[in-house]
Amino acid sequence: MSLIDALPSPSFKRRPWHPNVVLLCLSGAMLAAAWLLSFVSVAPNRIVSGTAFGMVDAISWPGAALVSLLFIAMAALSSVPTSRHYRAMLGIIILILLLMPFGLMVAGHWLVDPSLPQARLGIGAAYWTVLFVLLLCLVELRLRLGLSRWWPTLLLAGVGIAWWGCAALWLDRLALVQEFQAREGQFYQAVGQHIALVGTAVGVSVVLGMLLAMLMRRYQRLQKIAFTLLNFLQTIPSLALFGLLLAPLAWLAANVPPLAALGVSGIGNAPALIALIAYSLLPMVRNTYIALEEVSAETLQAAKAMGMRTGQRFWQVRFPLALPVLLEGVRITAVQAIGLTAVAALIGAGGLGTFIFQGLGQAAMDMVLLGALPILILALIVDAGLGALADALRPGGQE
Amino acid sequence: MTRNSATVSLPNAPSIQWFLPLIWIALLAMCIVGMPLLEGLFRWVEPDARQVVYDRAAFYELLGRHVLVVSVAAVVTIAVGVAAGIAVTRERGRDFLPLVGQLASLGQTFPPVAVLALAVPVLGFGTLPIIVALMLYGLLPIVRNTLAGINDVDATIKEAAQAMGMTSWQVLRHVELPLAAPVILAGVRTSVTINIATAALGATVGASNLGDPIIAGIVNGNMAYVLQGALLIALLALSADSAFNVYQQRLRQRLSAS
Amino acid sequence: MIELSHVSKQFGDDTAVEDITLRVAKGKFCALVGTSGCGKSTTLRMINRLIEHSSGDIILDGQAIEQYDPVKLRRRIGYVIQSTGLFPHWNVARNIGLVPRLLKWPATEITARVEELMGVLGLPVGEFAHKYPHQLSGGQAQRVGVARALAADPDILLMDEPFGALDPITREKLQDELAKLQARLHKTIVFVTHDMDEALKLADHLVVMRDGRIVQQGTPLALLQRPADPFVESLLGGLERGLKQAALTRVKDHMTSLGPTLPAQSRIPADFSLRQALSMMLRDHCDRLTVVDQGDVPIGELSLRRIVKEAQLDKVSQRDA
Repeated sequence: MSLIDALPSPSFKRRPWHPNVVLLCLSGAMLAAAWLLSFVSVAPNRIVSGTAFGMVDAISWPGAALVSLLFIAMAALSSVPTSRHYRAMLGIIILILLLMPFGLMVAGHWLVDPSLPQARLGIGAAYWTVLFVLLLCLVELRLRLGLSRWWPTLLLAGVGIAWWGCAALWLDRLALVQEFQAREGQFYQAVGQHIALVGTAVGVSVVLGMLLAMLMRRYQRLQKIAFTLLNFLQTIPSLALFGLLLAPLAWLAANVPPLAALGVSGIGNAPALIALIAYSLLPMVRNTYIALEEVSAETLQAAKAMGMRTGQRFWQVRFPLALPVLLEGVRITAVQAIGLTAVAALIGAGGLGTFIFQGLGQAAMDMVLLGALPILILALIVDAGLGALADALRPGGQE
Repeated sequence: MTRNSATVSLPNAPSIQWFLPLIWIALLAMCIVGMPLLEGLFRWVEPDARQVVYDRAAFYELLGRHVLVVSVAAVVTIAVGVAAGIAVTRERGRDFLPLVGQLASLGQTFPPVAVLALAVPVLGFGTLPIIVALMLYGLLPIVRNTLAGINDVDATIKEAAQAMGMTSWQVLRHVELPLAAPVILAGVRTSVTINIATAALGATVGASNLGDPIIAGIVNGNMAYVLQGALLIALLALSADSAFNVYQQRLRQRLSAS
Repeated sequence: MIELSHVSKQFGDDTAVEDITLRVAKGKFCALVGTSGCGKSTTLRMINRLIEHSSGDIILDGQAIEQYDPVKLRRRIGYVIQSTGLFPHWNVARNIGLVPRLLKWPATEITARVEELMGVLGLPVGEFAHKYPHQLSGGQAQRVGVARALAADPDILLMDEPFGALDPITREKLQDELAKLQARLHKTIVFVTHDMDEALKLADHLVVMRDGRIVQQGTPLALLQRPADPFVESLLGGLERGLKQAALTRVKDHMTSLGPTLPAQSRIPADFSLRQALSMMLRDHCDRLTVVDQGDVPIGELSLRRIVKEAQLDKVSQRDA
């Protein structure tokens, strides 16, 4: 067979220009969002849905020009990607994040009628989109600059504190802030309840999960039964499981007075905790089991050959090597529990979910936000914190 | 509700046969048709309630809406998720790979309730926000597993395929996708089972489905309603999950074909 | 025919291959030898455009490789790698038939070709055609890999440490079979290995590489006789070089006709190597062997003194040349 059949072909092509396409696209998306989507909305009270306003109405032409300029600067910097430009972009992103509450302040000053005490300013789709895309930019920059997890987390924490200050001092027209001020005490209580529920459920399932995983390593039959059962449990939707637990617990509370005295009732903490623990067990047991099993047999054999006793092998070799994967299990479990606890509010367990479902019930969207945003932030913080811990404990540093 | 992280293989239960999903589906059908016949049972649970069998809508209607919402979301998410996963693993889209990979793992930390709650202010009440929330949330496991599946294909096999003169489309179609299929399917399974559960929450935002009896039961303190909704959703989730399980095992078997 | 002239390859700021000039004539077996990371695999992969070279010219059958369509080019070049790269989801027959199918051969022809190749490579069709790669031993999998590379009868075969992961016995067996196959098919082969013995055994043309450059190239005997520097010498086995050279020389090239003296006790076939003859002398405590033909009929004699003397003569004649 001759090679001539393979003729002819297109000639070599080399791209002379390598912009960072990702950041270029993201900058363009932000510019488009800022101009096309609603910037803020203004409502006369908390139930009526607001009137939307565009960027020019909200912060006038100079403001709009400044915003556009910043996005265009980002696009320009990303078309010649050097690490200096990346750092400059990081600066611009922080600047935009810091400017965001001021935009709301300006808009509130111009658009909200001061004679209406109930009038409030809602955050528009453009704001959320830009915020989300900025976070994407941060992720991309972190990867390109090879920064550790801590840097952006610290920056965001700083930005968060600045926002909090602005909100507390000048943004009393913002609907979210008004909702918060109306139920400040309740809010802190809900955060406390949420954390307590998640903490208890995760704490119990860590202990139970590790015990179960150890037992499963010893008894193979138990392993099959337990995994089948736990997989089955996970398939049942949380809402259904919460609901299903109501009946038997209510029956127990009614018929076994000592349990009722302990606080067990059909509604509230008891069914929520039981369901949360049941859901948390599978990821916990699975990761613990896999973590302990995954430790290389050769390493363990070497430990044995060096003369380490069973206990020494477990605590000095198997356990430390398994720890990062085990912590990964705790992370998954905790993040999942934070979300599930929100659903538990439906059966009266309290926590931040209360605001979500009350807000949905009253069609007060700002109240929904008051519940959903902290849940999101809580999940992100726990995820980042436990992820960083697992990285730190991994022998030899990050992967 | 984060389920099987698909890249980790588990010591699995003995292979589940095809009749298991059929049993679940049969049970589901029996419950849909025969719920009123169980009135005595529910009366025992709620002796004082005026009404013990949920009758504001027929169960088959609720089930139909539930399945419809989940299917619409699933079709869109599979199409978009797999396409996105493929796009960023191609030569041209590779710039986006790190970002999308990070996003897919970050997205797992967003609780579905929060996603649903955030969709309502933008989209209003009704069926639309629940479909959108399901799509957003269901997208991530599929993208993540598509990425993992394609990236896990042995690089030397891809290179061999290329060296034999396969075009990049042929490498994708005949090598990468078949080898990644079990992992992608695991993502679809996770996505769909999570969505069956999350769709129930749609009842709180005015979408009528199997979550309705549960919410109504909780609001009115009628445990019988809760039981009916919970039972049906659980059966639906188990039917879907076990059906996927059978399909997944078939795929695995075909791949290792021993 | 494959010609590389002043070929270089940069990955970013790293230079993987620098100024390689190499010519492999049609039907010849060229081995690229060197330590890991010396650029030998990169060189190989530039030939079928898995890696595009940065500068210089690579010419196949008189055409620069940029002129070929990469996909069509690769379908006409066989490629074998250490890890086999067999598709785990396809059975043996389908794996072997891959390239013919890509070239849209008729189905019957593909089947016939697959069965023919399985026969050539010692894989009984009935037993292996429907097995999957994970059911094969390392040696069997590599036979399938070679069969797949040969399926569309390409003129050129590129092999990247194909036997590197096999146990010594299987490796030697496959080397022997490859040598026999090559004697029959006369493909133009470029073969990458870090095993010098393998290269000496198989190659017509030996290329020693180090840090992306060619240190020395020539016939195996030429290299053994005159290594260019201590690196090549150590790669060739240092003090054992003499024996390796002996391994490449046939007994029949050094035998003399049967003398008047009594024939020696030990017998050696004429197509054995000098190395084997020396080993036999050591074992049997003698300095003469009777050379026999395939029918075990004595045809000549081999003496230690003569071997040593001829080796000296070789050296002198080289110095004069």
